[in-house]
Amino acid sequence: MRRYFLVAGLLLSSLPLTGTCAAQVGPNDTALSPAKMTAIVGGKLLTVTHGTVENGVVVMSAGKIVAVGPAASTKVPGDAQVFDAKGMTVYPGLFDAETHLGLAEVGSDQNSNDLAEPSDEIMPHMHVADAFHAETVRIPVARLNGITNAIVAPASQDSVAGQDAAIQLYGRDRDAMLLGRDIALAMNFEGGVRRKANYDGPAKFPTTRMGLATQIRQAFLDAQAYEAEMQAAAKPDHKGPEHKKDLKLEALLPYLKGEKPVVLSAYESYEVEVAMGIAKEFHLKVILNHVTHAQNILDEIASYQVPVIVGPIYDAPSPDERYDAVYSLPAELQKRGVKIAFSSLGGSGDVRNLPYAAGYAVAYGLPYDEAMKAITLNPAEMFGLGDSLGSLDVGKTANVVVASGDPLDVRTSVKQVFIDGHAIPMVSRQTQLRDQYMPLTKKN
Amino acid sequence: MFAIASAERGCMKLFAAAALVPPLGLLAQAPESAPTDIVIKNATVMTVTHGTIERGSVWLHNGKIAVAGTSVDAPAGATVVDATGKYVTPGIIDPHSHSALGNDINEATSAVTPSMMMIDAFDNTDKALYQALAGGVTTELLLHGSANMIGGQAVVIKNKFGFSRDAMLFPNAPRSIKFASGENPKRVYGRRNELPSTRMGNFEVMRQAFEDAKAYMATWDAYNAKVAKGDKEAVAPKKDLKLEALADVLRGKLFVQIHCYRADEFLTEEAIAKEYGYKVRAFHHALEMYKVGDKIAPTGTGIATFADWWGFKDEAWDAIPWNAVMSMREGVRVALKSDSNDYVRRLNQEAGKMIHYGGATEEEALKMVTLNPAWIIGVDDRVGSIDTGKDGDIVIWNTDPLSTYARAEKVYIDGNLFFDSSLPGLGTTHFHGVMHQAGFDGADDEDGDGQ
Repeated sequence: MRRYFLVAGLLLSSLPLTGTCAAQVGPNDTALSPAKMTAIVGGKLLTVTHGTVENGVVVMSAGKIVAVGPAASTKVPGDAQVFDAKGMTVYPGLFDAETHLGLAEVGSDQNSNDLAEPSDEIMPHMHVADAFHAETVRIPVARLNGITNAIVAPASQDSVAGQDAAIQLYGRDRDAMLLGRDIALAMNFEGGVRRKANYDGPAKFPTTRMGLATQIRQAFLDAQAYEAEMQAAAKPDHKGPEHKKDLKLEALLPYLKGEKPVVLSAYESYEVEVAMGIAKEFHLKVILNHVTHAQNILDEIASYQVPVIVGPIYDAPSPDERYDAVYSLPAELQKRGVKIAFSSLGGSGDVRNLPYAAGYAVAYGLPYDEAMKAITLNPAEMFGLGDSLGSLDVGKTANVVVASGDPLDVRTSVKQVFIDGHAIPMVSRQTQLRDQYMPLTKKN
Repeated sequence: MFAIASAERGCMKLFAAAALVPPLGLLAQAPESAPTDIVIKNATVMTVTHGTIERGSVWLHNGKIAVAGTSVDAPAGATVVDATGKYVTPGIIDPHSHSALGNDINEATSAVTPSMMMIDAFDNTDKALYQALAGGVTTELLLHGSANMIGGQAVVIKNKFGFSRDAMLFPNAPRSIKFASGENPKRVYGRRNELPSTRMGNFEVMRQAFEDAKAYMATWDAYNAKVAKGDKEAVAPKKDLKLEALADVLRGKLFVQIHCYRADEFLTEEAIAKEYGYKVRAFHHALEMYKVGDKIAPTGTGIATFADWWGFKDEAWDAIPWNAVMSMREGVRVALKSDSNDYVRRLNQEAGKMIHYGGATEEEALKMVTLNPAWIIGVDDRVGSIDTGKDGDIVIWNTDPLSTYARAEKVYIDGNLFFDSSLPGLGTTHFHGVMHQAGFDGADDEDGDGQ
């Protein structure tokens, strides 16, 4: 890491600065000062909520969108900085419904890895916000492709893995970037979490899906009993022993009350059915995750009336399935009225490739506007952030992207990203390396 | 690091796959022969070598490309395929794959295993081949993994899914051998406390192997000299498959395909190649080529790299998505590769990213998944572009193949239709059986298993 900062330091003085802002690369310097009033003019607006505006204006002030509309009828304030987006496409910042941003740096390096707490399966008291490394090199890389918001979730090793955080991909430090701590509970009911089946040592419960299901049920029952005990202990005439605080059980209470969503991961149809059975038993507010190989129960999934983070659509179909059995899943769910979102997990797991998954789903039948929604407004709504994120609407957070063309196309380049109204430096460790070695090429 | 969940799932797939007993008898018996003449008409034809032909036609005759142009002089009886509004490209070529090799990617019991023949592990019913075919992939180089400094010898296949093993081999393709250096051999042997646990160890193991090969060649040279002089008493040295294979490297009979990531390793590998007198055909992964492209270009060594993979290990930490285009601008021949049963299905999109990262032209981008990988494999005289006399390996796409929205609709190999997405079921024309599923996801390095 020391080596990296040295390189970054050398480059600061010589870097050409992009966009409207003269910001530095460093630790989010621009975020220290309030954003200037900026008007993005002349671009094609993909508003997500109210269609496309061919020649539009977006005005941002104090971190909010304050005006959106056609150039003809939208006034550009005289004191606004103008960003000329003629010939470009303007859209709300993208929202990735499941990432591990800030939980791991170099993939193979265990020291940089806080992906999941492997010591036990029922770990609702693990808060990823406590591990979130805001200065990760991975965040600037992702945001340069227009991803401005993400859910940070633990890896799926535990059946109850911990609580997710929602982040903004820019801000002066962790506190500024955390939009929501503990906004959802990550639960996994999939074959892969039975890791004790291959436990290197004496066998340890649970090694089967029945074991996993029983363990999850018992955890929620214990939490219900805990709450009853807590309420009894709070009564003035309480006589028994004093109530002892249990962080693990306490962590489950908001989810038992349906106050916050549970992101419930399952791949196969029978896993989905078992997991939904448990969720119904405890009246959990569910966001289904994956359902990758549950094509035979899509109507049933629609009947649950819960949103779905679909895919990864890059998961391979089974040997008896058609090559596009998973690619077409988003379209099939959307057709049945299911609210869907995409996450970048799967494939190489690179957050910057989020829009391409949505685009590929379009190739396999998902309407374009629904694909845009599935990486903007839908995930924002699923996690209770729909009022402030996910569309170009007055009053929303000024997270806006300007790109050379269609955001879902791999050929498109993002030209400028605004987060909280700041024109963020279009610089990452990777652009620094590029620019450091680019003269080599130019010499020829 | 993002592969943790998928690696777990991979384990589960292994169990699931065990239940699928291979019903070998169900495979297509007699390959159907293709029509003698096929004309694909009214398409946007991306030739790779001589530009794009709008409203163009491609005539396939006896499995070869007869001609491509705005109009072709095909016989009246030709099968006509109307491709109005569609795009036509040569078949996509993957120069780095471990598909269809079951769980037999690495013979990781010794750091030098040059006599391992990947053809002995080739399973032609692996579903990964079908899924790649449906992504427009017609030729693949199936390589040994990267656990060993000197791995095994590759097999080159044409993706004629449904045909027999022998019928899927690329006829007379040059032989390639896989080398590797860096973290994978370090980790595999290091955790056993064996040589090579370091990069110093890495390269010393290689040098010793070639010293052994030279000594072996010398014994044969001496023997042959005696025989030439008429010495009837001369005793032939023992044939040693391992040393024979290494000798073939030194004799220039094997294309050397080297897995390595770092700039310093390219320089070391080239120096060793020079020292022992062999050529490096390509560096695979080569994520830091942008740092030394000007030095590697004159050697003629190509690269097979990822479009934008990075950060999964230390030696991939300096990876940047501009690597391919920056290296190309330095004069290095650049191919993109999958190294994955997933990405092989959309290498066309990976090529499209090169327009975004570095401003490649459409032709330059397409060349990275067609003609350039063909050169790395050594079959660029037969595939990789739409030129008269080349094999009739053709893909018809619904739209521009470099966009996110492209789907391969029809895939021809040697003028024979192997995939047609408009057909019900799998869309295969020659495969009528049950596929195999390897327990392994085909990725070389993603989860660091040293494959």
